[in-house]
Amino acid sequence: MDQSPEQLIVFEDVSKFYGEILGVNRVNLSITPGITSLVGPNGSGKTTLMNLMTGLLRPTRGRISVLGISPNQPEVLFHKLGYCSQFDSFPRGLTGFQFIYSYLRVHGYMRSEAEQLSMKALDRVGLVEAAGRKVAAYSKGMRQRVRLAQSIAHGPVVLILDEPLNGLDPMARAETIRLFRQLAAEGLHLIMSSHILHEVDMMSDRVVLLNNGYVVAEGEVQGVRDEMDEHPMQILIRCDRPSALASRVFDQDSVVEARIHADRGGLFVKTPDADGFYLLLNRIVVEGELNVESVAPVDDDLNAVYQYLIGSGGGNS
Amino acid sequence: MNSVIELDNLGVEFGKRPILRDLTRSLSGRAIGLLGPNGAGKTTLIHTLLGFHPPTSGSARIFGTDIRNGAKQIRTQIGYMPERDSFIANMTCVHFVRLMAELSGLPADAALERAHEALFYVGLGEARYRKLGTYSLGMKQMAKLAQAIAHGPKLIFLDEPTNGLDPPARKRMIDLIREIRDSGQAKIVLSSHLLRDVEECCEEILVLKEGRIAVYCNLEEERKANRKFLELETRGDNDAFAAGVAGLGCEYALTGDQRIKLVLQPGVEIRDLYRIADERQVQIRRLNFKRDSLEDIFLKAMEDGNGGL
Amino acid sequence: MAVYEHTYKLYTGKLTPEWSRFLIIPRHAFRDVFASKIFMGFFVLCFVCPLVMAILIYLHYNTNALLIMQLKVSDIVSINGEFFRQFLWVQSSLAFLLTVLIGPPLVSRDMSNNALPLYLCRPFSRAEYMIGKMSVLVILLSAITWVPGLLLFIFESYLEGAGWFAHNIWIAGAIVVASLAWIIVLALLSITVSAWLKWRIAASAGLFAVFMIPGVVGTLIYFMFDTRWGNIINLSAILESISKSLFRSRSDFNAVPDLPALGAWIGLAIFCAICLLLLSRRVRAYEVVR
Repeated sequence: MDQSPEQLIVFEDVSKFYGEILGVNRVNLSITPGITSLVGPNGSGKTTLMNLMTGLLRPTRGRISVLGISPNQPEVLFHKLGYCSQFDSFPRGLTGFQFIYSYLRVHGYMRSEAEQLSMKALDRVGLVEAAGRKVAAYSKGMRQRVRLAQSIAHGPVVLILDEPLNGLDPMARAETIRLFRQLAAEGLHLIMSSHILHEVDMMSDRVVLLNNGYVVAEGEVQGVRDEMDEHPMQILIRCDRPSALASRVFDQDSVVEARIHADRGGLFVKTPDADGFYLLLNRIVVEGELNVESVAPVDDDLNAVYQYLIGSGGGNS
Repeated sequence: MNSVIELDNLGVEFGKRPILRDLTRSLSGRAIGLLGPNGAGKTTLIHTLLGFHPPTSGSARIFGTDIRNGAKQIRTQIGYMPERDSFIANMTCVHFVRLMAELSGLPADAALERAHEALFYVGLGEARYRKLGTYSLGMKQMAKLAQAIAHGPKLIFLDEPTNGLDPPARKRMIDLIREIRDSGQAKIVLSSHLLRDVEECCEEILVLKEGRIAVYCNLEEERKANRKFLELETRGDNDAFAAGVAGLGCEYALTGDQRIKLVLQPGVEIRDLYRIADERQVQIRRLNFKRDSLEDIFLKAMEDGNGGL
Repeated sequence: MAVYEHTYKLYTGKLTPEWSRFLIIPRHAFRDVFASKIFMGFFVLCFVCPLVMAILIYLHYNTNALLIMQLKVSDIVSINGEFFRQFLWVQSSLAFLLTVLIGPPLVSRDMSNNALPLYLCRPFSRAEYMIGKMSVLVILLSAITWVPGLLLFIFESYLEGAGWFAHNIWIAGAIVVASLAWIIVLALLSITVSAWLKWRIAASAGLFAVFMIPGVVGTLIYFMFDTRWGNIINLSAILESISKSLFRSRSDFNAVPDLPALGAWIGLAIFCAICLLLLSRRVRAYEVVR
């Protein structure tokens, strides 16, 4: 898929060291429009990558290009880029509206335009009624949303968001995710980091898995899973007679492992040939007169991928 | 069943502003989930039950003791894991947990023993001899949990325990919470914005909205109910499969590329669906009964009353 | 082979008596305090003066020693109320320095990372917390003020006999009361400053400021308005008045005349009330933002 550099965010052999400490090492990425999520343990390099994209950090080695612009040109770049950090700090004494308005003025917008854009941004995140109150009096979720509003107010084409759903209650989460999908549909690049894997699974177009400063996997979630051939697929079938199912299942050559669930109400099956297995399952259920309660791939999702590639030993705890 | 927390028309005001109103409910599950949008009063409820703030009207009882006059006695049996960072930077973790255990009434030697036990239980190894100021976020969360359980309380309040934790650390925390719940020795109140966490740990749910109880729900009972709606994910000729389903007389809806929702008519079994799949060489990749997930319950609770959200 | 599972268990042993729990704080604080070499050195130095005083008392009564040193009894200062007052004055100044050394981190360390809710979610009240923190200072400062003072008094009584003891028992009372007044004020002030100021340097500066600045202001007021009541805000003047009245002193070497004793005590009470008010604003489980 060939996209012109003006549509991509490109990392070319990028490394970043903080003295001796590793930030990221030899990163090669090409980020397309849509929602790209950075996933990995704390300290794996997610924030480093984001800071490299915005130019807040210079790489020790390698080249970065954001839509054709180098992060060394912040005057040009920040017109197209919006950044929402994970830190919950504010200039003192400002109201929500003033917070967004003042940054827009710094961008160079005229007074009336800045007012308009501020109100539009506040409307998008649902903070219009609270706009006149001081940010210090906001709840954690509201502060998160006002920072989000500030990052989108100037209509950027690239949005970099560090844990944007932190502190949001379930409704605000759903609304914010909806907003992100809207923005993605408008053609923006959204790059965000998150620890909540099922949300990442649900909303992202692409995912980048990081561990200890290296990119360990990258692509569409489904695609990444498919590429891991050496890991057979695991399926959980809940039924009334798991042992009967188990004995029939071993008739097929390709079943690698079958394990009865601890509560004796289901069977875990590992097979590298999912298609063959499912067709076989139809037959077994009919002939064996089994009562199936549910069927679910246990590791078809990001959680499993994370577990395989990064495991529980990742990070520096 | 003995109730853990009994709310009796509980009301709390700050100055003239009412934060909690008319809370009446008896909670007795092993693990109780506390949900609600920001500003609904969850933290205020926890603070009031802990005795940080006296109720303005009504009352509440924890293990039968009234919070108005039995606060000190209640606090001997409570552990609390606050949402915000809470630690003393220049102390080592062991010293900190030990201090907290002593303040809960344990004699010094027992406090030291139990501090180490708690730290072992939460998985903080050699790191326990380092100062808390050097800890990462995940370790601080575990240290917070350790101080909440070291003195062996019967009721533990956890406020956003998985905040900021990466996936494996989150799993460890959830596993620990479930272990404590399953041990039967302590009850848990879990307040979180992450519905998944609550779903995995809790049996009863209390949803607050604008200071009132919006919904109370017993998840255990929910899970046993309603077995009519099925959701399937297929691979193969989905249309042929759908036709077969229609042939059985079941209503269905195609909800995506390879997804189908259907209503099981009386007399039709899942095995019949498999028969159809076998005949048409269609794989049933995913199959489950659709029950109201916690998310549905929560969103419905938020909508009720005003029509909109 | 048996495998031991570690699961969550309740605590079923004995609990410590409730009234003694405030002492947990000084016990734990002393671990940190005595770990500092600077503090240990200073603490030891505080005992030099009591030692010197003890020697003086001894010399007063040991004529052989005096002969050897070719001194006469009258050359050595006499042991009376004034003697003990001066001794306390030295020790009180050292007590102030000690407070500046260890006072500032006492509460600020708990506040800077929001540890107070963890204290207060236990059977431990705000009052116990404040008393506990104050005890850290009260215990240490007592060890260098009235405890050696009383020991010196008893030593002197032992040498002089029961008659002297009975005649001068009021000195013992004065030692204790004057010291406690000073100690409690210092402790209260110190933890109030610690609760409000996070930086160690700011807190130390704050402590000095509370003593120095009102002193200057009081003197100014005296010279401008010819009233000694300007000194009501001057803590050291208040405490000096109190100690002079307790020790029945006459000496008056200050620029500004002393406040009457009752006025001084009232000033002290008001000062303590203000400190307590400020403290209770800060020592809370959570902050309410309106």
